[in-house]
Amino acid sequence: MNDCVPDFEIQMEEEEENPIPVSKKASTQNDDIMELLWQNGQVVMQSQNQRPIRKPPREIRSSEPQNYANNQHLFMQEDEMASWLHYPIHQDPPPLDHHNFSADIFYPPPNAALQCSVRADHLRHPPPRPPIPPPSRMHNFVHFSKHANASLSSKVAAAQPTVVDSCDTPVATADRVETARASGGKPAAPGGGRETATCDMTVTSSPGGSSGSAEPDQREAAVDRKRKGREAEESEFQSEDVDFESPEAKKQVRGSTSTKRSRAAEVHNLSERRRRDRINEKMKALQELIPRCNKSDKASMLDEAIEYLKSLQLQVQMMSMGCGMVPMMFPGIQQYMPPMGMGIGMGMGMEMGMGMNRPVMTFPNMLASSTLPAATAAAHLGPRFPMPPFHMPHVAAPDSSRVQAANHSDNTMLNSHGTLDPDQSRIPNFTDPYHQYLQLMQAMNQPNVSKPSTSRGQENPEKHQSDET
Amino acid sequence: MSSRRSRQHSGSTRISDDQIIELVSKLRQLVPEIRSRRSDKVSASKVLQETCNYIRSLHREVNDLSERLAQLLTTIDADSAEAGIIRSLLNQ
Repeated sequence: MNDCVPDFEIQMEEEEENPIPVSKKASTQNDDIMELLWQNGQVVMQSQNQRPIRKPPREIRSSEPQNYANNQHLFMQEDEMASWLHYPIHQDPPPLDHHNFSADIFYPPPNAALQCSVRADHLRHPPPRPPIPPPSRMHNFVHFSKHANASLSSKVAAAQPTVVDSCDTPVATADRVETARASGGKPAAPGGGRETATCDMTVTSSPGGSSGSAEPDQREAAVDRKRKGREAEESEFQSEDVDFESPEAKKQVRGSTSTKRSRAAEVHNLSERRRRDRINEKMKALQELIPRCNKSDKASMLDEAIEYLKSLQLQVQMMSMGCGMVPMMFPGIQQYMPPMGMGIGMGMGMEMGMGMNRPVMTFPNMLASSTLPAATAAAHLGPRFPMPPFHMPHVAAPDSSRVQAANHSDNTMLNSHGTLDPDQSRIPNFTDPYHQYLQLMQAMNQPNVSKPSTSRGQENPEKHQSDET
Repeated sequence: MSSRRSRQHSGSTRISDDQIIELVSKLRQLVPEIRSRRSDKVSASKVLQETCNYIRSLHREVNDLSERLAQLLTTIDADSAEAGIIRSLLNQ
């Protein structure tokens, strides 16, 4: 945030209830410990037990850049001297300060150089404040407010008089002018750090000068100022609102169509972005699931995910088949055989290791013995259907590569598959084993060049089976 | 194995829609749950979500099956053919 330039927009948005204080420094004042809090680029003077004075952001808007310093409505603690240093350049009546010190206090000294970083711009409409501080302070504030009045911008000036008048007291008027000038000079001189000291000096000096006559009046004035300040604030708010809204209104009136279109485009972009975010998030989750995935490229990562998914499916089938294999020893083993997975599992089993050939062979043999009735019917057909029909659906998958790898073991596979024909009734769409066989061979022949070897291998299983059975 | 389309040069975080569509269609074929749905209505994020869920369920299934196989291994003759199969399955 820029110290020197009022951030109207920021002020507008920031109407926080509680300023986020980044304590800039703590200055010990007469009776209280005031803290300089950093609020949105402005330093706000705040007493420890009091809330910072807030000023509607709009106020700042109206002020000129050089006057921003004046917009700082310090939360002034009664004893806080420095508060009156930062006056909003008038603008509006004491901002939100319902505090003892009416906003008048914060009217900026004529000296725009006073870059009191304290700012109460974002201060909100403050709640009722504690009682007014000592009259001496008020006195000074009054002066300042009056002074500020002079330099008020046109807009602010309108609001100002309200405040100024409220605190105007016949006696104090003259004093105000003097004090304002005097105090105006002082605040201008010191930098941010010395503001406190300056304030102190000024404050101490002023009471001496005018405390006698002005005190009682000041007290009243302070009260009035507080009250009027509140009103002024409200009016200020309203005026600010109006100002703030007018640009929008103009925009709406002028380009209703264009505004709609631009908004629609914005909405579209937002939704598109959200969709993309969702997708990216899911992809990250997917990447975590894939083991040893070191691809940063999304496309390759997805490819790997696809492969991994396939391998996982195969693995599960194999294992389920293996689990079912053991119970196969017992009669009635058919029920344990997964209809679809069996053939594939066998095929995959072939890939797993050469050593599995024999075990796999025994398996189908057992099956054959256990399913004699069905086997008998299909026995003569068995040799002819070395390939299980359920290989069909997976032909599209890289089964061809697997088949190639297992070519040498195709004999066994075919043999085993052949005995599974009786179970093929569970396999969908396969009514005629012979047709299934034909389809399978057809499919196998297409993707795989080595199919002829497979077909040749079919001869062996026939002999094998007959031998083993 | 999948054809890579040229991607926009916007870093690894961006991916072209075509790529997404292609890969998502592949995933859709693999994930049974999505296969049964109407393909034209499935969004990419939905497919990815279902894929993640499917992979997790497959992981669980593999774990369960591994446990079962391990148990079966103890019940059968260690020298039998089935034991060999089971062992090979477990060693994957």
